[in-house]
Amino acid sequence: MRIPSSLRRASKLFSLWLIFAAPLGAAEHPAVPVQLKIGTILATNQAECLDSQLAKLKQQLEVVKYRCYRLIREESKKSSWDTNTVFEIPGGRSLVVMPYEFRNARVALKVRLLEGEKPIVDTTVRFPNKGNFLLGGPAHEGGVLILSISAAAQ
Amino acid sequence: MSDCDRIQEWLGAWLDGELPQARSAEVKLHVEKCAACAAEKVRIQRLDAALKRALEARVSDAAFAPFWAGVRERIAQEKSPRQRVFDWMRRGVAFPRIAWGVPVAAVVLIALFSTIRPSGWFVPSNQASVESIDGHGFNVALLREAKTKTTVIWLFENQETEDENPVEPAASEQAF
Repeated sequence: MRIPSSLRRASKLFSLWLIFAAPLGAAEHPAVPVQLKIGTILATNQAECLDSQLAKLKQQLEVVKYRCYRLIREESKKSSWDTNTVFEIPGGRSLVVMPYEFRNARVALKVRLLEGEKPIVDTTVRFPNKGNFLLGGPAHEGGVLILSISAAAQ
Repeated sequence: MSDCDRIQEWLGAWLDGELPQARSAEVKLHVEKCAACAAEKVRIQRLDAALKRALEARVSDAAFAPFWAGVRERIAQEKSPRQRVFDWMRRGVAFPRIAWGVPVAAVVLIALFSTIRPSGWFVPSNQASVESIDGHGFNVALLREAKTKTTVIWLFENQETEDENPVEPAASEQAF
């Protein structure tokens, strides 16, 4: 069946709209910078303890079943969207965080943990604005490190 | 893909006479020389024959005479004005250009929903969602706990990597 030229033209225009409008719709984020906060926690099984600064995180930390949690570093930085922000992590490690999207009150971050120059993990996580997630496992001083990664976009 | 794989993909179409002349000749020549493809051809022919027999057996059971009589009667019947209007409307709806409208409308709706999503249209989960993880050779576990809305990405050493390097065993508690 021969496709009428008007329909052919309309379908081309529609394809163009799909190609250009879809990425524009996906890459939305507010003009204001995003506040990133990384808490580095040392979890061990030596004795029962909870750092008083970690009271708000107590319930979340209980998910990983260690006996003792100490906050060994806390760092907060303002970051522009689509820009890498680097946080120093004990043990010669670093955490590179790039906020890249804000949609439906959820922040999307690209996170890379490095040991020296070597990447350990790359992940993309989306979570509620002013919320957090935990990244744990790296060995440190007889225990493991747990990173609480949070972001506030507004 | 080997010659035989290619030929065997075409065998069914060749036996049904659906291949262009040049390809049909190619298949014929190959089948004459290749025992495996010839055997495959026989298998397909047997299956076709079995199917044909089964269909013929079922068809012989059906009484078609009253059906054809009904068709002839309907053709001979003068159509009522109402029936003619109904037929005209049905032709209009079945017109190919209108039939295009259904998939086009579906695509437009999908595009609208995927590009225009004002906040508040749906309530997203208040828990973190992990869209991708690459452990770069390390094992990664994902823990999610709904009660405390906790999402944990946990890294631990790959057991296989340990086995491959027996000279430097990792400490049991160490993740890296």
